[in-house]
Order: sequence, then C-alpha cells, then structure tokens
Amino acid sequence: MVEPLLAATDVTVRFGGLVALDHVDLEVAPGGITGLIGPNGAGKTTLFNVITGLRQPNQGRVLLDGSDISRWPTQRRARAGVARTFQRLELFVGLSVRDNLLSAWEASVSGGVFGRSGAEGRARVGEVLSRLGLVSVADRRAGELPTGLGRMVELGRALCTRPRVLLLDEPSSGLDAAETARFRDLLLEVVGQDAGGPSVLLVEHDVRLVMEVCDQITVLDFGKRIASGPPEEIRDDPAVIAAYLGDQGVTDVA
Amino acid sequence: MLPYIILGLFAGSIYALASLGIVLTYKTTGVFNFAYGGVAMFCAYVFWQLRDQWHLSQWLVIPILLVVVAPILGLILEAVFRPLATASAEVQIVVALGMLAFFINLVPIIFGGADHQLTSIFSQGHFHWGKHVVVTWNEAGTFLLTMAMAAGLYVLLRRTRLGTATRAVVDNRDLAELIGVNAGTVGQAAWIISTGFAALAGILLSTDEGLVTYVLPALVIYAFAPAVLGRLTSLPLAFVGAVALGLLQNILARYSTTGFPAKLEGSIPYLALFVLLVIYGRRLTEVRSSLRPLTGRASTGSPRWQFGGGLAAAVAAAIVLPQVLGVSIQHDVAEAMAYSVIALTLVVLTGWTGQISVAQMSFAGVGAFTAAHLAGTHGSLFPLAVVLGVAIAVPLSLLVGLPSLRLTGLFLALATLAFALLMDNLVFGSTSISGGLTGLNITAAKIGPLSLKTYTAQFYLCLFVLTIVGAGVFWLKRGPVGRRLQMVRDAPDAAATLGASLTLTKLAVFAAGAAVAAVGGSLLAVTQQTVDPSNFSFNQSLELLLVVVVGGRLLVAGALIAGGLYLVTLLPLPSVVDKYFPLLIAINVIFLANEPDGTLAVAIRQTRFCLAVLYRRPRPDVLLPVPSVLPPTGSRELSGQHG
Repeated sequence: MVEPLLAATDVTVRFGGLVALDHVDLEVAPGGITGLIGPNGAGKTTLFNVITGLRQPNQGRVLLDGSDISRWPTQRRARAGVARTFQRLELFVGLSVRDNLLSAWEASVSGGVFGRSGAEGRARVGEVLSRLGLVSVADRRAGELPTGLGRMVELGRALCTRPRVLLLDEPSSGLDAAETARFRDLLLEVVGQDAGGPSVLLVEHDVRLVMEVCDQITVLDFGKRIASGPPEEIRDDPAVIAAYLGDQGVTDVA
Repeated sequence: MLPYIILGLFAGSIYALASLGIVLTYKTTGVFNFAYGGVAMFCAYVFWQLRDQWHLSQWLVIPILLVVVAPILGLILEAVFRPLATASAEVQIVVALGMLAFFINLVPIIFGGADHQLTSIFSQGHFHWGKHVVVTWNEAGTFLLTMAMAAGLYVLLRRTRLGTATRAVVDNRDLAELIGVNAGTVGQAAWIISTGFAALAGILLSTDEGLVTYVLPALVIYAFAPAVLGRLTSLPLAFVGAVALGLLQNILARYSTTGFPAKLEGSIPYLALFVLLVIYGRRLTEVRSSLRPLTGRASTGSPRWQFGGGLAAAVAAAIVLPQVLGVSIQHDVAEAMAYSVIALTLVVLTGWTGQISVAQMSFAGVGAFTAAHLAGTHGSLFPLAVVLGVAIAVPLSLLVGLPSLRLTGLFLALATLAFALLMDNLVFGSTSISGGLTGLNITAAKIGPLSLKTYTAQFYLCLFVLTIVGAGVFWLKRGPVGRRLQMVRDAPDAAATLGASLTLTKLAVFAAGAAVAAVGGSLLAVTQQTVDPSNFSFNQSLELLLVVVVGGRLLVAGALIAGGLYLVTLLPLPSVVDKYFPLLIAINVIFLANEPDGTLAVAIRQTRFCLAVLYRRPRPDVLLPVPSVLPPTGSRELSGQHG
C-alpha cells in the first residue's frame, strides 16, 4: 500500500464520560478521495477537529506525510497543507466573497498580512472564483448568501490555501439533488485536474455520493471504526449495514 | 488574630451575598450582570431615602425593598436581557455595562449626589466574646443574616418545585422547555432573587463603608472574583470563595495598615479575579453563547471617497476652525480630539476584533503620567516622554494580554476590568506616581522649538495626530490587516484552519491599541495641563466604551462622534445638560448595543428607509436577485483553461 499522506492513529477523545472517538485509525492516500461515513454522532466532525488541531485528543497521533503534527497549533497545520470546510458554515460574514478567499490566501502564506506579493494572491483568488462559479457574487457580502453558495465560498477559501489534503465536512447538506450532482463534478474536477491537486477526506451523509466518488471509505459508529476499504466492500459489509439499518434490520433481512 | 477573623467573616459574608446573586442569574440566563453594583447602590439609596429621610421604620422599609422594589427592578432587568439571550456575548456585555452606567448616573439625579453615612440595621453596641474579643451587633447580625439568606437559597433550589425547574434549566435549557418547564419564569425568579440579594448587599456594605456613589459599585466588583472561582456556575464555590476572600483581606490587614501592603489589601479581590481568569484560561466557557457574530451594514469595503473626504475635512478644520472658534473652545476641541485618538483604539479592538476592553484609559494614563513626570518640569522632553510612554504601555499590554487573550468575550472583558481597577489602586493611586489628589502639572511642553502652551498650538497638534492615526486606521482596514481582523472576529476557528494565528493577531491589536492610547493619553495631559488620576480610572474607561458604542464601534467616524460627545461634557453648557447627559448616553447604549454602526448610521439608515417608503422606491438590498448555486454553464470551459 502507498504511504498515506495523512494518517490518524489510535485517536481517542472523551467528553466527560462520553467516548466520542475510541482508538480510531484513519488513512488518506495521496491523490484520491477518501470517504468518512457513519450515523449521526459517530464522531466524524470530532475527528476533523482532532486532525485540524481544534481539539486535543486524549490519546493518539496525527501524521502528515509521515511527520507527527499532533502537537502543532492549528495554524501551523494549515500552513503545512491541511485545509477544511465546516458542517455549520463558518464564513467571514462581514467580508465580500472575494475578500473571504483573499484573506484565506493571505493567511496561508507567511507575511500575507503585510500584503506581500498581493498580485499572486489576487490571481489565485480569481482562478478559484471562476472555477467555482462565484464570479457573479464576488463582491457580495458572504453573510448575505444562501447556504449552497456559502458552501462554495468555504470550498473556495480552502482551495486558495493550495492545500495538500482537503477535509470536507458534509459539503452537500443544504444542497438539492441538482446542486449535489454539480458539486460532485466540481469535486472530481478539483482533485483530478489541478496540478498537484489536494487529496480529499470527505464526510458526507449522502451515501450515494460517497459511493460514487470515493476510492476508499472508512465507517465510524459510536466512535469506533467498524469498517474500512473500497466502496464495493463497504456496501456489502454486514457491520456497516447493521450500523445504518440497526441490528433489527439485519436480522429481518437475514 | 481572632478580631481580624471576625472582621473577615463579616466582610466575606457580604461578598458572598453578592457573589451568589451574580452566579444565580448567570447560570440560569447566561447574562453576567455587570450592573450588580449599580443595582445594589440604587437599592441602598432607596433604603436611605425611606428610612433616614422619610423616617419610616426599617422593619417596614426592608420588606418593601425585598418584596416591591427588588422584584420590580429584577423584572425590568430580566425584560431588558431576555431578548438578548441569543445575541453575541459582546452585545450582552455592552448592555450590562450600559446598565451599570445607567444606575450610577441615575442615583445622583433621584437622590442627589451627596454621600451619606448609614447606621446599621442592627442595634448599636457590641458584646464580648471570651476575654478580649469585641463583636459588634452589626457584624454578628450581618453574618447571621447572610448565612440565613444563603441557607434559604439552598433550600429553595433543593427542596422546591422552582428549584427543580431551575436546576433543569441550568442543566439543559432546551430539554427543560421540552418537558414543560417555563424557562422564562425560572429566569424571572432568578432575577428577582438576585436583585433582592443585591439590595441587601448594598445596604450592608453601605453601613460599613458609607453610601458613596462611585465606591459601592467598585466594592461589589469584589464579589466577581469568588463568582469566577466557581466558574460563574457553582454557588457553593462562589460562597466559600467569598468568605475566604474576606478572611484573606482582613488577615492581611493585621500585618499592615499603611503603605503599599495596605493598598494591596484593597486590590486583592481584583488581583484574585485576574489570576483566577488566567489560571482557568480556556476552561472557562460561557453557559449560553451564540456564535452569531455581529456585523454592521457599513463594514465591507470603506470607499475611497470617505478617505479623501476625511483628509479634506481635516485640512478644512485646520484652516477654518481656529478662525471661527474662540480660544477656550479651541482648547476644548483639542482635548476632545485627543480623546478621539484613544477612542480609535477601541474601534479597532472592540469593533473590528470583537474584544471588549474596559482598560483603555489605563493605558492612556500611562502615557499621561509619563508625560507629566518627564515634561512637567522640562517641557522640551515632551517628545521623549511620548516615546517612553509608548515604551511602557506596550510591555504592560503584553503582560496583561499574553495570559488573558486566550480568554473569550465575557472573560476577557472581566480580565481588562480587573487590570483597570488594579492600575487605579496600585499605580495611579500611589502618590509618587500620581502626585496625590491634586495631580501633576504639565504646562510648558514643547516639541523642539514649538511651544504647546497656547491653545491654538494644542489644537493643531491634536488635529495632526488624530488625522494621522485616523487615516492610518482607515487605510489598514481596507487592506490585508483589515481582512485579518474580520476573519478573527467573524469565525475564529475557520481563520485558524486557514493559517491565521489568533493569539498573535489579538496580541498585536491589543499592544498597538495600548501604544496609541498612550500617545492619546499624553496629548490629553498636554491639553488638560493637570494630570489627575481620576481622569484615567476604570470609570473613565467604561465611559469611553459607552460613547464609542453610541458613536459606532465599527466606524472610524464612530471615534470622532465619541470625541464629540466628550466635547459636550467640556463645553460650558447649562447644568441640566451636565446632569442628564451621562444618563442619556447609558440609555442610548442599552438600545444601541445591537447596532455596531452606532447612532448616526442608524439615523441615516432610517431616514433613507423613510424616504424610500415615501417615494416608493424599493430598497436595493432587498430586491437584488440572489444567483443560483449552480455555476453558469460556461464556467467549465473557463476553469479548464486554468487546470
């Protein structure tokens, strides 16, 4: 197997008495899309927070390209190439869409806050704006946008940092079927076409979308990893079916 | 030792009453009641009016206070704060501080501004305990009364339906409402009980310390430290902490009655507050905080014409104003402009990064006293003094900021409050620094050959600095720095995951704010000519925050309006203006907290809206079509070019 680009090993997170993540392992292979699925409360977003450094795990490590980044603060991980979007939109609501993207680019380079090589940033932002179809709303304030567009802005913001690994937290929630389809195409395009485009870790409720785009899928349930493998395997895994339909469902089917 | 322990228990039990009241409303409604001291003072004055002026029996007055006055006040407060339950912490804090100013300014209007002595509600005299120990009936009575109140609260929370409901709401508000608990009623009950405790604490404290307008609220702030000890949610810890604080203070008093240690005694509660906040750090989380950030409507992209217009106005002011204004008014305007420079730091700090500081005038005071000490006798040292003031203020701000900037919202505001009060007590309160009650004189400041003795020279200097700082801030807002601040304010987590360091950003803003405030302070020193510690106290920092909120905390113009409001207090206007003006500001703040663009912007918006309705022109921002989420069909080809 190829050396994973991003790996979380043996991650445990407890909220008081509740074990949100229980010795979870996760690998993201370079150059592909890895899916992370599981019922509500399985710990998917918590794992994202651990990977990006927003939450310190009680136990476990995070490796990027083989080096241990567990002790790095969030912003250092970001500069090393870990970018993410949020399930609950975290837009810079007071800034225009263009400035949302530009500020992201500035945050990702050193000296960006002093306006160093602003031309390069503007070029990158222009590129991302047109790729995501945000040109027509570029000067609208982010806080005024509907959810679907807001998700695009978050994706664009993450792309502006030229990430090596991109963590998407339920990007299709709040989108209708047509929008989801369009998003899928966009995702494949971003990963495939961009020279050195990012690897993606995708948390998603829409199982069909996950099955379509992912090369590898990891399934969490109650904070435990219950399965991991290519989509075909996951589809037929009895433990996964049980987690989604409930044990009762399995026995009925059986 | 025993007499000090008795004194300590007496003082501690009053703090305990206040701490319990503060924690009770915070844990049930999520509102930290900064106005607690104001409420306590108001109730104490009502008590004085009824008992000592109208000569009613105190056994009638106390029930009236607890059954009529306190519940009414409590319900008013509840009604003010209830709509803010889901507002951002920033709005709640601003409103609570506005409330504090409201009560502080209301009391002199209703009861006259004079200080009074209040005799104890318990009988005079004392009894002997053992051979050597004398206990006054006031001390014993106070202690027993407060213990009874605390026990009563315990029984209420543990043994009654209201208590069960309260605990359900504290545990999980939404769940409690689902099973039929009326969280509104629980909140009202909490406010009523809390205000009753405030009334008692106010009366008991006034018996001890005298009924003095500004002193009482500061004394009630003593109770903040124990409340924070219980992380604002634990009643038993708050109670124990308060008693321990009283003991600590009075045991310390045994060892020193003069000099620095004596001052330390009065500062221990503030020191404890600051240290506790730093120790708890990120473990302090607010019980109900909304993530919804505040945005003004005028906050994106300040247009270039405003920049040009501002500069043009400054030049015009430089040419025209000295011609048309009398000399003494020039002086007042100069002072107001120095004030605006300090106000600008609050616009950046509070408006643009969402951090509430009630210590800006403390940093200004550093600049002012440095200027007075250095340039008071040798006027030509003034430029050096300004530089030195900045050089002191910046490390000081780092000292405060490094440990406390990890704190969020409410807790950061509390940390700056503790810092401001410590500065008042320990630094500005020391005669060697402040020159005692009369302050220090600085009358002959010079910049090179240019004397700042004349009012016109002061006017030009202040105008020059204000223009430079204003233009600089405006320019920064348009660029990467402005974007960085907005990121940190709107979505700190997202900013960090994109590579921005929150701590570094906040610290830089805090230190820069302190530096500019110090410069503003030295200007203020030159215009005021006598540097008086009371001009740089916590109360002044509070006042500054309030006028900036009224002016508009997101706008550079907001700081200018703040200066204008300050000017009103300087001008020789009829005394009725002086009397009601601060109260009007406080009321304005309570209503405007949700409008970060301030009075003027709201007025302009409403005028525009009225005009639009009159002429039936649709408001453009309502009807602008929202494009679909789908990229236009052409975009695929377009992006292909970049791929």
